[in-house]
Amino acid sequence: MYTNEITLILSCKSENEGLARMCISGFLMKLDPTIEELNDIKTALSEGVTNAIIHGYEQKEGEVILKCRIEGRKVYIEIKDKGVGIENIEQATTPMYTSKPQLERSGMGFTIMETFMDDLEIISNKESGTIIRMHKTLCNTSE
Amino acid sequence: MSIKVKTEQSFLVVNLEGEIDHHNASKIRLELDKKISETDKKKLILNFEDVSFMDSSGIGLIIGRYKIMKNLKGEIYATNLSKELYRIFDISGLFRLIKHYDTVEQCKKTES
Ligand SMILES: Nc1ncnc2c1ncn2[C@@H]1O[C@H](COP(=O)(O)OP(=O)(O)OP(=O)(O)O)[C@@H](O)[C@H]1O
Ligand SMILES: [Mg+2]
Repeated sequence: MYTNEITLILSCKSENEGLARMCISGFLMKLDPTIEELNDIKTALSEGVTNAIIHGYEQKEGEVILKCRIEGRKVYIEIKDKGVGIENIEQATTPMYTSKPQLERSGMGFTIMETFMDDLEIISNKESGTIIRMHKTLCNTSE
Repeated sequence: MSIKVKTEQSFLVVNLEGEIDHHNASKIRLELDKKISETDKKKLILNFEDVSFMDSSGIGLIIGRYKIMKNLKGEIYATNLSKELYRIFDISGLFRLIKHYDTVEQCKKTES
C-alpha cells in the first residue's frame, strides 16, 4: 500500500490559507483525485486552518500545524493549534453557531467539514488548544 | 482576487474572480461595499463565473451583502454557480435568502 505524509507549520497569517490548500493539492496529485474530491478536501482543510487562525489564535501569533497522510486511497488531515480551545464542542458544531458574528462568520465551518469529509473528530480544551482530524476515502481510479 | 463592476439598467453587476476565502474576503468586502454605496442601483448581481474556490468565508460575505441590500430595500442575486459552489449555497441555506440564475443575462431578463 502506498503511504506518504507531509507536515506544514504555518504562521498565523491569513495568506497561508491559500498556501495550505495549494500544498495539499499538490501532495494529493499522486492519487489522481476527482475534481470534486479535491475540492471537498481543500474546502474542509481551509475551514480548519481558517478556524485556527481566526478563533484559535484570534488573528494574533501562533503556529498552525497541518498534517496530511495518505494510506492507499485514504487521506487523513490533522489541523492543530495551541490557541484558546473550544469550551463547548456541541455548541460549536451546531450549524450556524458562531462566536464571532461581528466578523461576518456564518457558523458553517464545522458543518462543511462534516459534510465534505467522511468523518470529523474534534479534540479541544482551554489548556492545550484544538486538534481537528478528518479523513476521506477517495474512489478507485479506473486504470 | 479582484472584482469587476458594471452598472446595467437597474443592476449593479459584480464579477467575482479567484478564490473567496478568509484572506480574500476582507478585500472583496471593502471594494464591494464601496461600489454599493457609490451607486443608486438597487439590484445587485453577484456573478460567480470566475470563482474557482469558496469556503464559509464566502457565505459570511454573501449574507453580509444580503443584509446591506435588504436595508437599502434592494435585491441580491447569484449567477453562474459551479457544482461545488452550488453545494455550499445549498448546505448553508443561502438559497432561502438569495435567488440564483444560470447566467447574468437570464437574471436581468427575469428581474428587470
Ligand atoms: N480552532 C479553534 N479554536 C477555538 N475555537 C474554535 C476553533 N474552531 C472553531 N471554534 C469555535 O467554534 C465555532 C464554530 O466554528 P465554525 O467554523 O463552524 O463557524 P465559524 O468559524 O464561527 O464561522 P464560519 O466557519 O462559517 O466562517 C466558532 O465560532 C468558534 O467559537
Ligand atoms: Mg469557521
